[in-house]
Amino acid sequence: MLNPQIPETKPVKLAVRGMNFWYGEKKILHDLSMDIHAERATAIIGPSGCGKSTFLKCFNRIHEVSSQVRVTGDMLMDGVDINRGGIDQVDLRRRVGMVFQKPNPFPRSIYENVAFGPRLFGVRDRATLDDLVEDALRKAALWDEVKDRLKDSATGMSGGQQQRLCIARALAVHPEVLLMDEPCSALDPIATSKIEELIFELKDSLTIVIVTHNMQQAARVSDYTAFFWLGKMVEMDLTERIFTTPRERMTEDYITGRFG
Amino acid sequence: MDDLLPATTLDAPGPPAQAGPARLRTAPLFRHSRLNRLADRGTRFVLLACTLLVVGLIGGILYFLAIRGAAAFIPMAGNTDKVATFRQVFLSTNWDPGDGHFGILPFVAGTFAVTGLALLIAAPTGVLAGVFIAKVAPPWMRTLMRQVMDLLVGIPSVVYGIFGLTVILPLVGHAWLADAPAAGFGVSAAILAVMIVPTIVSLATDAFESLPASLDEGSQALGSTRWQSIWRVLIPAARPRLLTACVLGLGRAIGEAMAVQMVIGNNPQWILLMRQATDQTPVLRFLFTPAATLTTELVQELPNTAAGSTWNNVLFAMGLLLYLITMLLILATRRLGRQEHA
Amino acid sequence: MDTPDFKVRTRAKLADRTMHAVLWLVALTFVGVLLVFVGAILKQGWPELNLHFLTSMPKTLDAGGGIAPELLNSLYLVAISLILALPIGVGAGIYMAEYAGQGRALRFFRLCVETLAATPSIVLALFGMILFVQMMGWSFSIRSGAFTLALLNVPVITRVTEESLRAVPRELIEASYGLGATKLQTILKVALPYAATGILTGVVLTAGRAFGESAILVFTAGTNTSDKFPDFRLSVPGETLSVHLWYVTSDGTLPDASQIAAGTAAVMILVLLVLNLLVRLLDRAIRRRTR
Ligand SMILES: Nc1ncnc2c1ncn2[C@@H]1O[C@H](COP(=O)(O)OP(=O)(O)O)[C@@H](O)[C@H]1O
Ligand SMILES: [Mg+2]
Repeated sequence: MLNPQIPETKPVKLAVRGMNFWYGEKKILHDLSMDIHAERATAIIGPSGCGKSTFLKCFNRIHEVSSQVRVTGDMLMDGVDINRGGIDQVDLRRRVGMVFQKPNPFPRSIYENVAFGPRLFGVRDRATLDDLVEDALRKAALWDEVKDRLKDSATGMSGGQQQRLCIARALAVHPEVLLMDEPCSALDPIATSKIEELIFELKDSLTIVIVTHNMQQAARVSDYTAFFWLGKMVEMDLTERIFTTPRERMTEDYITGRFG
Repeated sequence: MDDLLPATTLDAPGPPAQAGPARLRTAPLFRHSRLNRLADRGTRFVLLACTLLVVGLIGGILYFLAIRGAAAFIPMAGNTDKVATFRQVFLSTNWDPGDGHFGILPFVAGTFAVTGLALLIAAPTGVLAGVFIAKVAPPWMRTLMRQVMDLLVGIPSVVYGIFGLTVILPLVGHAWLADAPAAGFGVSAAILAVMIVPTIVSLATDAFESLPASLDEGSQALGSTRWQSIWRVLIPAARPRLLTACVLGLGRAIGEAMAVQMVIGNNPQWILLMRQATDQTPVLRFLFTPAATLTTELVQELPNTAAGSTWNNVLFAMGLLLYLITMLLILATRRLGRQEHA
Repeated sequence: MDTPDFKVRTRAKLADRTMHAVLWLVALTFVGVLLVFVGAILKQGWPELNLHFLTSMPKTLDAGGGIAPELLNSLYLVAISLILALPIGVGAGIYMAEYAGQGRALRFFRLCVETLAATPSIVLALFGMILFVQMMGWSFSIRSGAFTLALLNVPVITRVTEESLRAVPRELIEASYGLGATKLQTILKVALPYAATGILTGVVLTAGRAFGESAILVFTAGTNTSDKFPDFRLSVPGETLSVHLWYVTSDGTLPDASQIAAGTAAVMILVLLVLNLLVRLLDRAIRRRTR
């Protein structure tokens, strides 16, 4: 956790200004504004259905694949609006990786799962692929467990391993931001703590935005925490402050579990 | 909040995209090639063309049949003899093309007679088999029934035809008709019924399986027997889908050509013959007089007529009529489907 | 306490038992019909099934003819018609599943596919006769037959492709997009491989249907075969097994027509049993994966 006494040194990676979001006619997110700093983990908490996943997906525009959506307001990555006409969604999704709630490895070998991304971009050279796969698996703290069975099917792994494989798969295309939507909600406590350690290491080189249901988890892994309620952001601050001295009564109620 | 998190860096360029780790022999550039992008964009149109081809096919079929069918009534370029009138074709039972009589009513009536009869057999048994599979049968029997239906639906028309010709016709003739030929609506309908029953069974099974379990449980909890529950609750609840199943079965029966052609006797003058024969009861006469339908007559006569003759053109008009009837049935199933959701 | 509805209950119970028996009877009747049917066809045809029958040329007037060219034509026509129908059917299926959205256009396309699938084969035969046999001038030939037969295959392949693609788990699709894959890459590398077994099952079913089809081929591929064997030219007439079966029975010039027909029917049933087994194996593969 960041010390509130020391000023932030990392630049803003993602900036959201007055953003609204609709699924079809239904307005889901209302007038959101926040800054997300590079090489920090930012947690988003809030009751279920309040729009956390929706907000997260806006950063790589993946809901546009299957749903009719509308966004207004600004969402800037490195100062460039990602919803602007000229922005290429496919390229955006390469730069902004995503890990989903339920581990979703492809029904292929472990190796092929990680190599999937690089192959998309035309990497064919075996040695390069091998390096990229090893590198990504190491970053995801999975290499030692799977290095002898890279050809095995990914669907035969444990849930925790599958989730770390999905993280490795996302890391293999060298994203700048990693979005994680309740990555541990389907995992047991041991697997969860492994992923949490991983998040801690990964944020040295990545911007991480993580949605979580689990308050302790937010407190453990994140530097900033934002509290959402009914599609609005109630409060965002350093995690340290949110969990000790929140400014809003509602935040305090939610964090202490007194929420109705 | 904005005061806490200054947005000063907002417009500054961000950090450069990270390069791969030093170990990497070549740091890959994760960019899609031009080719990749072009292919991605072009695909949509290629696939749309495939879909439009399917749509266009229906238009094409209708167009060609309509043109050739119309030539039976309107003098056209390729015609080689005198055209017929609508009245002569659609309102007459006299089919004697050699003599200029093109009444197709016997075939229309034959089609409805044989398919109606087939549906009379296939609809109740198919629905019962559907209930049986969905609600009554033990798992092994369920599997067995599915396989039986899969096999029945896969057997080719001509094999059904040869079975009817070599096994059923002699058998029926021997049993009921003092070894006289048994060709006609009866055996044709029986064979058609077996051919369409898999369609009805599979859709009926789906219909019953998709009913909420609470329906069945609720009615049995009130003390009704299993059959009462099936008869009073499940069948009424599944009715729109059961009707759809029967209509689709009917569509299949109407379009079937070869199997029926092999056992029906192919007699365009069947109405006359049925009236004349008095040596049998009306029911036996109806079932065992050689007859003909739209499809069987097409199979029977198309190879023997010259393109451009009115005879040939009337046959195409019969084909068009057949297609329009099938299309009407499809649209009817749409109606039924909407009724179900209402 | 009196029991006024005692009698009714008994009747209801009796009805229940009776109908229970009736349901079993109906079901077992269908099983019996199939067994008698397949049994009779195989029993009649069994004595004819020998190497000579399978490998020699048919005769037009004398007894002792074989079915070699018909067997080959059947397989050849099915293969060509599938090659013609696959790209179009799969293409249309992909479009409907991935590009057509959920609105009116999709409903219209579905209606068209359904209508084409329900088109009586005799109607397709008429269409093929006008377009390929007469207008294109291909006369009765393998070519005319294959193109018309393809019309029978297309809607079935379209439907299974669409259904199989819709059954691909959303998470896998999202995972692929999430890595920066284009739509085409996602379809080619994730969706189609996952749907492949389902599509293949549909293709085998389609092959079986095309193999048994006769009405279409009588009027497009003709009731003769080339004098040469094997003859792979597309312009020669291509009588298939099913057409042969029909033709020898209805033509009546062969002294051994009924034996030939019985043998042909048995061969067809055997081929279809093999195809059925194949479908079953594929189905099991699909179910094992989804579990
Ligand atoms: N694809 C969609 N189409 C329409 N509405 C959706 C869709 N996905 C989510 N929603 C709605 O958006 C709201 C927010 O959902 P979500 O972002 O998943 O919440 P959270 O992740 O906080 O639980 C919910 O009311 C949900 O019903
Ligand atoms: Mg969520």
